[in-house]
Amino acid sequence: MGALKRTYENLCAKHWSPMMGGILLAFLVVVLEAWYRPWGIVGGLRNWADWFFYHIGLYDEPPALHPLWSSTSSILDIGLIWGAFISAALGREFAIRIPPPIEFVKAVVAGILMGIGASLAMGCNVGGFYMAVNNLAANGFIMLIGLIFGVILAIKYLYWELEHFPSSGGFEIGFQKIDPFLGVIALAGLLVATRAYFGSELDRGEVMGGCLILAAGIGYVMHRSRFCMVNALREPFMTGNAEMGRALTVSIILSAIGIAILKYNGVRPESAYVTPTFIQGALIGGFIFGFGMTVAGGCGSGSLWRVGEGQVKLMIVATVFGLSNSIVRHIFAEYDVIENGYLGKAVFMPDYLGYAGTILLIALIVLVWYIVIDWNEESNRLVLEM
Amino acid sequence: MGVNLDEIKPDMTIDCKGLSCPMPLLKTKKAIQKLQPGQILEVLGTDPGSKNDIPGWCERAGHEYLGVKEDAGFMRFYIKKGQ
Repeated sequence: MGALKRTYENLCAKHWSPMMGGILLAFLVVVLEAWYRPWGIVGGLRNWADWFFYHIGLYDEPPALHPLWSSTSSILDIGLIWGAFISAALGREFAIRIPPPIEFVKAVVAGILMGIGASLAMGCNVGGFYMAVNNLAANGFIMLIGLIFGVILAIKYLYWELEHFPSSGGFEIGFQKIDPFLGVIALAGLLVATRAYFGSELDRGEVMGGCLILAAGIGYVMHRSRFCMVNALREPFMTGNAEMGRALTVSIILSAIGIAILKYNGVRPESAYVTPTFIQGALIGGFIFGFGMTVAGGCGSGSLWRVGEGQVKLMIVATVFGLSNSIVRHIFAEYDVIENGYLGKAVFMPDYLGYAGTILLIALIVLVWYIVIDWNEESNRLVLEM
Repeated sequence: MGVNLDEIKPDMTIDCKGLSCPMPLLKTKKAIQKLQPGQILEVLGTDPGSKNDIPGWCERAGHEYLGVKEDAGFMRFYIKKGQ
């Protein structure tokens, strides 16, 4: 029995290291892209918002894809939340957490900004940065620059807020006693749902079943390791801690190598996730999104795994983020903003540097990044004083 | 770490219940500035992330992390301010 208990502890209760999370995330996003498509977040949230706006009569047309029967973007988000819930419940960490009132206001404002930023960059930090870089798109690193400046501004805001609006009075409604049972039920439900997709008459039933279970794997891994890109970009400026940042750099280079091979061999089109946002869309979008995600306390993916953990603030963030993104993208469509190239150009780096050159460039950039945050962990030179 | 958490008399307590990352750590960072070395800060929180963040930060910032104990629906973290 000792071995069983230890195995459960290691797989379902203990937090995994960020590095473990980063490596497993890289593996899963490569596998997901090999299976069907690149990983993404905001498309699914927008799909739900499009449905909502259509049903209240704001939009004339329903979205082209149904959230449950045809939109893989939607399935990826459902899977992520589901997997995070399984992880949280099995680890007795699922609880409804109600924050103090000011956090509700911050959630709405942050969600709106994230929606605007993700429209300009044509993706959140996942589609616009992490998956853009590993799909060898130049807009990915440009968004990173914008994100960093947005994060720095948001830290300054948070310091100011602590001085002027001290808050308290949040609470949690716990389910610790029944959590593991909920987790087991959710895991069984996931397997049943995946099986149902594979056995269904739907056009792309198998595709969606695979997307569901792989996204659940991503959600499980992210929650267990508390893998967080906000943390990775924020801590060097807030506490100096570089652990999550180092994990993110390793995750980027590993996934870039895997996806480069998929594109090189023609498994996926070279244009996948190469969006016409180089330079201005990615830069400005990254800045606005970076500020929003830091105030939110979760990026596109981090917000969703925290939803699975029962954080009410992040439920509001994710909802408002989707609604805001839907409206802004609707306005863009009215004026053909993307088609006219107002956001920038689509730049696939191997067209200019070749595949090997591109991988070397990505490796060089993440290596410099790794060294800088590691040096800063010792020296604290980048940390903003309170 | 032979500290009995039940016997600790904190010099200051801050409430971070319901808050999610990064607010608990930010409030902790701010509160500890007001204490003298050797004094003890108690942090009330509900964010599972704090179980990693607070000990990690203490180690980096030179404070002594005394431990955490579960209460009814929240956790109590204890930190002794370093030099």
